[in-house]
Amino acid sequence: MRVGIEVGGTFTDLVAVDGGKLRVFKVPSTPRAPDVGAFNALSAAGIDPAQVTDLVHGSTVATNAILERRGSRIAFVTTRGFRDILFLQRHDRRSIYDLRYAKPEPPVKRRDCFEVLERIDENGNIVVPLDEEAVRNELLPALTNGDYEAVAICLLSSYASSAHEARLRDLIVQAMPGLRVACSHEVAGEFREFERGTTTSLSAYVQPVIDGYLDRFEKKLAEAGFRGDFSIMQSNGGRIPAIAMRRNSIAALFSGPAAGVVGAIRQAQRSNCRDLITFDMGGTSTDVSLVQDGEAALAPETEVDGLPVRTPVLDIVSVGAGGGSLVWVDDGGMLRVGPKSAGAQPGPACYGRGGTEPTITDAHVVRGTIRAEGFLGGTMKLDKGAAHRAFEGIAARFGMSVPEAAAAAIRLAVANIVRAIQIVSTERGRDPRAYALVPFGGAGPLLAAEIAAELSIREVLVPPNPGVISALGLLSADYVKVYTTTRRMRLGEDVPDKLREEHDRFQRLAAEEYRSHNLAGTLDCSLEADMRYVGQAFEIAVPIDLRSIDRLSVAELTASFNEVHRRVYMHGGEPGRTIEVVGLRFSARQRLEEMPVAQEREVAEQSVREVAIRGSGGEDLNARIVPASRLKVGAQIEGPALIEGYSSTTWVPPGWIAERDASNNTWLRKKS
Amino acid sequence: MSLDPVEYAIVSQSLLAAAREMGVKLIRSAYSTILREARDGSAAILDINGHTVAQAELIPMQLGTIGQIFAPCAALHPPETLEEDDFLIINDPYSGGQHLQDVFLFHPIFFKGRILGFAASVAHHLDLGGGSAGLNPNAGDVYSEGLIIPPMKLNAKRDWHGGGFERLLRANVRVPQQTMGDFDAQIAANHVGALRVQELAERYGVETLLETMGALQDYSEARMRAAIRNIPDGIYLGEDAVDDDGISDTPLAVRATVTVKGDSLAVDFTGTAAQVRTNLNAPFASTVSATVSCVKAALSDPDIPFNHGAMRPITVTAPKGSILNPHHPAAVRARMEACSRAWDATMKALSKVAPERVVATGYDTTTAFCLSHLGPGGWSVSLEIFGGGLGAASDKDGCDAVDNPLSNCANTPTEALDQDFSFFRLLEYSLRPDSCGIGRHRGGVGFTRRYEILEDGVKLALYSDRFTRPADGLFGGHAAATGYCEIIRGIEHVPVKSKFAGELCKGDIVAISLGGGGGYGDPASRPVEEIEEDVKDGIISRACADRWHAPVKE
Repeated sequence: MRVGIEVGGTFTDLVAVDGGKLRVFKVPSTPRAPDVGAFNALSAAGIDPAQVTDLVHGSTVATNAILERRGSRIAFVTTRGFRDILFLQRHDRRSIYDLRYAKPEPPVKRRDCFEVLERIDENGNIVVPLDEEAVRNELLPALTNGDYEAVAICLLSSYASSAHEARLRDLIVQAMPGLRVACSHEVAGEFREFERGTTTSLSAYVQPVIDGYLDRFEKKLAEAGFRGDFSIMQSNGGRIPAIAMRRNSIAALFSGPAAGVVGAIRQAQRSNCRDLITFDMGGTSTDVSLVQDGEAALAPETEVDGLPVRTPVLDIVSVGAGGGSLVWVDDGGMLRVGPKSAGAQPGPACYGRGGTEPTITDAHVVRGTIRAEGFLGGTMKLDKGAAHRAFEGIAARFGMSVPEAAAAAIRLAVANIVRAIQIVSTERGRDPRAYALVPFGGAGPLLAAEIAAELSIREVLVPPNPGVISALGLLSADYVKVYTTTRRMRLGEDVPDKLREEHDRFQRLAAEEYRSHNLAGTLDCSLEADMRYVGQAFEIAVPIDLRSIDRLSVAELTASFNEVHRRVYMHGGEPGRTIEVVGLRFSARQRLEEMPVAQEREVAEQSVREVAIRGSGGEDLNARIVPASRLKVGAQIEGPALIEGYSSTTWVPPGWIAERDASNNTWLRKKS
Repeated sequence: MSLDPVEYAIVSQSLLAAAREMGVKLIRSAYSTILREARDGSAAILDINGHTVAQAELIPMQLGTIGQIFAPCAALHPPETLEEDDFLIINDPYSGGQHLQDVFLFHPIFFKGRILGFAASVAHHLDLGGGSAGLNPNAGDVYSEGLIIPPMKLNAKRDWHGGGFERLLRANVRVPQQTMGDFDAQIAANHVGALRVQELAERYGVETLLETMGALQDYSEARMRAAIRNIPDGIYLGEDAVDDDGISDTPLAVRATVTVKGDSLAVDFTGTAAQVRTNLNAPFASTVSATVSCVKAALSDPDIPFNHGAMRPITVTAPKGSILNPHHPAAVRARMEACSRAWDATMKALSKVAPERVVATGYDTTTAFCLSHLGPGGWSVSLEIFGGGLGAASDKDGCDAVDNPLSNCANTPTEALDQDFSFFRLLEYSLRPDSCGIGRHRGGVGFTRRYEILEDGVKLALYSDRFTRPADGLFGGHAAATGYCEIIRGIEHVPVKSKFAGELCKGDIVAISLGGGGGYGDPASRPVEEIEEDVKDGIISRACADRWHAPVKE
């Protein structure tokens, strides 16, 4: 049996596959000790860990340790003269008119930052040798006295030569065996010292927390007789054996959103849909990503609590528009939705927990697209009157009826998500009309058709159980390891050979690492070069076709780069422009076998009926209610209709037709 | 309003998103460090009258006045005379511009034969000719600062892409690869903006789009007026000064008289020093930008879109012939120092009426630090912009080591400097302990950078301020430390003035140290634990901490 367990902020989701059958469970999360929730999910599903052959786990442990500042006590060591790099940061402000601006807080205090005398230049040559005597006489005693759980080392130019960092680590480990040491050339071997140093310090900060968590988790599994493979989800959209996560815990940040995208890709692929835009709408935010030919793009960097994390992550754009987003009027009289949210407490007004301000969920309740009786499979009753009352103020202010005000709020929420989709599509030179929209998360399928209509997208694919797609993504995630390096070179005749050398080196590294984890099988590899015109500061990723890397030429690299640059920036390729390669990113993936077909989980209420609801302009409509588990393959449902499932409801507006295909995906298409 | 409130909200947010996208593309595809790292540029969408509707928030200094500089272009070339492929260009500080390095481009947005408005962008260009590479601190007039482009109309097909004007420009700049590349980035940003506006016209209709352009300005105006109405009517004074003009030692006073009346506010700079012979003069458009930015930052919510409407309730005046409104052809390159004092003087005036909203004076200085070298491969120019510590607030310490509030330049990573420049090496970049003004809340500390010079014949050009006059404290808070620069040659330490140009030798060490921000409130009321935390972190020394414990009146 294969099991995926995804720990979210509110719910812990479990997806189990056994003998071609797929089962889905949701239990409340236990934020203080997330492993408790995970084991509760196993018990709720009646799963005996001894029967599980493959367990994939995703959690917010690393992210929360940083957000709540519950990481370990660490020291930071850098080159003399640069002790303050984590505090100086990039000298800019995120909010330009904020007189009370404060920088994001590093995970280490200035008193715990140390310097060593040494300097390496950009070519990896030693300018000043490492002063080992000072290390022994000054640094080591300070580290011993400091009672640290981990040390982060980031020396200048260590991306070009790791010699000093490696030597310094040896000296520290000899003196203090057992102390965890994170070296920047291993965590993020790319130039730009603030970003690399911060990533390394965050890695050291969360490593002991992750180690402790995984220790506990593995011990409990062993006690329960588990003998299978245990792997952890990463932010790059792939899994990694738990043992490898012990070496690079920073890769675990934001694994939840990545798992969702992977689940959506895998489920869409079953229906031969490979170009898609995913949007995951939850309670407080919506995550959007663009998938080209079955692959989501990687971004080289993300951030957590304002701090940069230099690690390859799935390119996901997040906007503050979720079901709990507040609908309000600002002091200039403009109607706004989000980014503030009612959160879990008090939550939307219709939850009846004391909330009085209107939210998007309340707008759906007023409209009738969320039925007060049908929420979460009928397990949670909603207060329709409270939702109605919450919109009265806004309705009066604009001279509208309450249903009109609710419809207006939904149109604005749609517009917010449309703008997020434009960031990943039109702003990057991609036409959204060439993609299918794949909504998931509890609130996604309710808005999908209206968002598609705004963008002139013709097809919407709603996966089965859209509310637990992240847990499904865990199970369908490949093993992925991404390697990066800074190798700056002007584009000349020698570059293709150098790229081939780097490619060989990466391949050897990957083969060795997979072998060390006993993961036999072929690796699917891809290589991207980060390139720019000489003088530019921002690189763009240019894919290199590995099938023809033997014949790779300067002309081909030039043409590919010019094309990508023009697509994104609407200029480039002017005569006389020199191009340079700045770095390389290599991804080695071991593909998994096919997933079994997912079915909708049954809900209690199973009859097909009609209810009165409001359309997108607030007009009266009669909509059919169709239980998701009763929708037959090939049968067409004409809008207006609501397809109600256990974890989510799909809204089929008038003029749209829903049809389930053999892979259990539900397609929404506009009637021509 | 006949406009549907939902369409109004959607189109407004879309216009703001379009301006943001223009800014991102301008910066990310730029070539010079000053534009790509320091982000010294901006982009906006203007209505048919040239009024700013939406802007990319990059640096405050260029926000607000893009619309003003459009007027002289439109006076010569009214919109109805423009054709597809035409665009307008200008950099003349005496026709509404800021300084020559800021070149403005305006592209008309055509839709079904009519012009909906303009896509505008401005970028600080690394070199536009003039007396020396990157920065000419000795310029005595605007002619020696670079090429002057009066308001004019160009046609992309005829004059650009190998056309006459482009070739003239290319022939007059020292680093054409970077400068012409930055122009390409500006043009592309304008095309993106135009395309997005056309898409909105197609989707929502021309009438809705044009009405929204007007309504969004009214919206910013209404929110700004509401903010001004919150403070009592009256006349309030504030004063600060630039250290000197770079020749004599006499401070250059900047005096602000702020008059609040109902929902409008006027700032007058009568009493401010006369214009100077060096490049420290601020063209009037710069003065307006700085002053309006201060009022907006101090009194209003950060999320009010800064467009033409936001400026309507605010009037700025400065006597002609003063350092804040000089006569042609005074040099203006280092305008930021006088502009920053206009910000400081306005903030001090507002402190009398909005003590909880304002902050103490910060280091608030733009330090332009230029190292250049003419090697066998041509010119190599490193131009960096430094800030300092910010002033403290009623409820918060000032931010340490960050750029001037009127600007928002990022630093260049040390590892990028190592890759790009072989004639110097950065040896130190550190916080500067004890440089903050003490108070209930302390100011931000400044920072120090030390460079080792690796070749003979390296030129150093510098303009800065607050080397002699520190940032003041507020409501009992103390003043901060001043800045300094020195050249260390063997055992000799040679002090460098805040406005300087000279030559360096191999082996020299140049140290530049930026000061802190002023403190806010009585130091004696700061809890001992907060002081001790800073001592443990080495942000302040024991000696400095003792001044808090037993403060002496300054």
